[in-house]
Amino acid sequence: MNNIVSCEDLVITYQSSNGPVRALDGVDLTIAEGETLAIVGESGSGKSTLGMAMGRLLPSEAGREAGRLEVDGMPVFDMARDDLRRLRRDTLGFVFQNPMVALDPTMRIGRQMQRAMGRRARAEDIHALLERGELDDPERVANSFPHQLSGGMAQRVVVAMAIARSPRLLIADEPTASLDASIQDKVIGTLCRLRKESGASLVILSHDVHMIARHADRVAVMYGGRIVEQGTTARVLGAPVHPYTRALLKAAAGHEKPGEWLTPIPGTPPLLTGRCAACSFEPRCSVSRDICRSSRPKPRTVEEREVLCLLAGSEAERKEVAQ
Amino acid sequence: MRILLYFLPKLIFASITMLGVSALVFLALRMIPGGYADVLLGPFVTPEAREAIAVRYGLDQPLLVQYLNWLGALFQGDMGVSMVTRAPVLDEFLRRAPVTLELALLALAFALAGGLPLGILAGIAPPGHRGGILARLVGALGASVPDFVLGSLLIFVFSVWSLWLRVGGYVSPIEDPVGNLRTMLLPALTLSLFGIALVLRTTRDAVLRVMTEGYITTALARGERPFDIIRLHVLRNSAIPIITVVTTYFGFLLGGAVVVEVLFSIPGIGFFIFSGLENRDYAIVQAGVLIAAAVFISINMLADLAYALIDPRVGSGRH
Amino acid sequence: MFSIFGRIDRLSRFGFGLLVFLILLGLIGPYLPLGDPMRIGAGPRLSSPSWLFPFGTDELGRSFLPRVVDGIRATFLLSAVAVIITAIIGTLLGMVAGFFGGVADQVVARGADILFSFPAILAGLLIAAVMGPGQISAIAVISVATLPLFIRVVRSVTLGLASRGFIVAAQVAGASPWRVMIVHILPNIIGAVIVQLTYALSIGMIIESALSFLGLGGQAPYASLGSLLRQGSAYLTFAPWLVLSSGAVLSAAIMAVNLTGDAVRDALEPLKGRSLT
Repeated sequence: MNNIVSCEDLVITYQSSNGPVRALDGVDLTIAEGETLAIVGESGSGKSTLGMAMGRLLPSEAGREAGRLEVDGMPVFDMARDDLRRLRRDTLGFVFQNPMVALDPTMRIGRQMQRAMGRRARAEDIHALLERGELDDPERVANSFPHQLSGGMAQRVVVAMAIARSPRLLIADEPTASLDASIQDKVIGTLCRLRKESGASLVILSHDVHMIARHADRVAVMYGGRIVEQGTTARVLGAPVHPYTRALLKAAAGHEKPGEWLTPIPGTPPLLTGRCAACSFEPRCSVSRDICRSSRPKPRTVEEREVLCLLAGSEAERKEVAQ
Repeated sequence: MRILLYFLPKLIFASITMLGVSALVFLALRMIPGGYADVLLGPFVTPEAREAIAVRYGLDQPLLVQYLNWLGALFQGDMGVSMVTRAPVLDEFLRRAPVTLELALLALAFALAGGLPLGILAGIAPPGHRGGILARLVGALGASVPDFVLGSLLIFVFSVWSLWLRVGGYVSPIEDPVGNLRTMLLPALTLSLFGIALVLRTTRDAVLRVMTEGYITTALARGERPFDIIRLHVLRNSAIPIITVVTTYFGFLLGGAVVVEVLFSIPGIGFFIFSGLENRDYAIVQAGVLIAAAVFISINMLADLAYALIDPRVGSGRH
Repeated sequence: MFSIFGRIDRLSRFGFGLLVFLILLGLIGPYLPLGDPMRIGAGPRLSSPSWLFPFGTDELGRSFLPRVVDGIRATFLLSAVAVIITAIIGTLLGMVAGFFGGVADQVVARGADILFSFPAILAGLLIAAVMGPGQISAIAVISVATLPLFIRVVRSVTLGLASRGFIVAAQVAGASPWRVMIVHILPNIIGAVIVQLTYALSIGMIIESALSFLGLGGQAPYASLGSLLRQGSAYLTFAPWLVLSSGAVLSAAIMAVNLTGDAVRDALEPLKGRSLT
């Protein structure tokens, strides 16, 4: 199978008034054609930066410091402007967190859809696409301004726009975070159905572990600008080996047995100013050893997934799982 | 319906504002040392004339009654009579209005032609870009050099080196369109420098704000050309603050750019009001201020209407 | 503080330096060996700039440089006094309007609209007609022109603050409205007031000099940069240095204020932007 995304040791740094901040600290990742990959992590873990980097849509104060990122075989950070534009138009489709922000408030939906579909799109085509996005009464929707739609409808519009040119890679950044809980499932269902129909790959960036468990083939857990654990959804979420993944699952509400406590993860994610020379999760880790403070973990394969933990699979780590 | 419901309160507020302006102007002129008879007849008044005026204008009546009478006369277009020309003040203003209007339109055209492109450039230019620096310099200069300084400089340059443009000697555009341009370009340019800076700075800030909006990222993500993004999204969404300052600026220009009209001897409204003050022909000052404020308020109402046409959220209660 | 200075660029730093230099020059000017601004016949009349008279001499043979230095002081002083008085009144009115709302708000907001509808120079003509030309008239004109700026900004910031938790908490705890305004709201609007203050100062300087140029500002022997320009403009074609020097110094002074204002604003409310590629 071919890879639609391949990413090697990608380092991305933001220039802020207080000096550089390293958002990605060496990411290695491949995404296969047709698969659904979820990237999980707290805010500040770097997942949004990674998602936006796939279309080079980072703000101007962010830049690639090292590494390589290829989408559909094209080096995203070393492309001519027009090629990049064509890549975004034909190969990529983005769904953003808040549809009310992602849609232009002064332009009718139909016009914005047409911009996404291309000049030759007629009204019928626009209506058909809206219908594919499971919007009833597409005519009325096309004639509306964004503020006249509900959040769920607007997000369906954004989803329909993202698939307008049958992209090979869909990137959805917290696609349901701004929606009412009652419609989150339906919207994500539409997104996944449309992905399946087109055979595209889908990357979902989210912190919603339960949603991911239902929809993703594979999961990558991000922390401190690196992917600390990745593998099939069943392996990673069913039997996590990285202490951070375990903490994340414990902190997520929804699957608790009666009487069980939710355990928030103490502390906050690190703010890196340069290459992290140790395990970045060490300060918040419940099983850390001296070695975690002195050496930077490398990817290892443990129990059929890749993990970035010096202790994974060791005696100490097993003890903790047993608790 | 949306626009009507949004516009009606604006109209009411504007009427209240206009009423307040008229009351202030009325009171101001009653406070002039020497009394209102002086305002109407000039400083050299015989006691008999003073008496006649007092009766005719009801100066013995309470101030409120006087104000209402004066307001009533205003509504019939009676703004008093110029002491110098003996002609109705309103006619004098209407006669001069086209000159000021031409000057204002020219200056506005220059301000937009210079300020908009530079402002957009400064808004989208990456930090350190040459165009952005140029725009900042023009913005800083334009907001800082007063019109009479620039005007004096231009007058000096063009009277020493006799170039095509002329200083003073206004001619009507109907009699001699080219000659008219030769005399109007310098004052219009002088007036426009501040406008360029104003439009430029407002446009830059508005564009910078819009550029961080999510729909710009959306447009980039669907592979739009930079030119199309500016045309479709940036301009429309940054229009409201730009319209606000442009209308304020235009209102100021129409209210008679007193200094520039005096400096270049342009026989427009501003020059007329100023000479009214110098001749102690106060009816002209009074009417001039009133007219300028009315024009300003009306133009601002047009701007309010424009907001509602540009942004569909305005007046919909979901802003 | 580190981050505030980090954002100030070279142009802003130049503007701030220029402002400090001009204010210092205006203040200590009389004690510098620049010559006597009042001495008639210090040199030949209308002589062009020389080492002895760097800005030339005027029609009475007075050295023009010390007159310009005195003019800087006059321009800054009058505008600053006018703007500071206006800022205090405007802040007070804006806070009352935003905090109490209701009738008080309506009255203040409409009042600001009314003042805003007068083009500044025309208001100047009207006030000159009523009060006669002079420094007090000039201060009144500057106040009329800049009061709405303060009222509007302070009112809208106060409106935003009034519903915030700590303000509501203070009220629930029984603090009097005036105490809430001075202790809790004032510190939070001071930044916005300072930004408006710099803009108002630049507007005030333009108005003061325009009025003086028209002969409606302070009367002789008071001489601001605007009155010097008026004086010089009679000799524009054969003694241009009078207009050019006072005009250049006036423009530089206003620019210094503007650039400083931009720097203050950029530091308090930065705009980031993004590129289109």
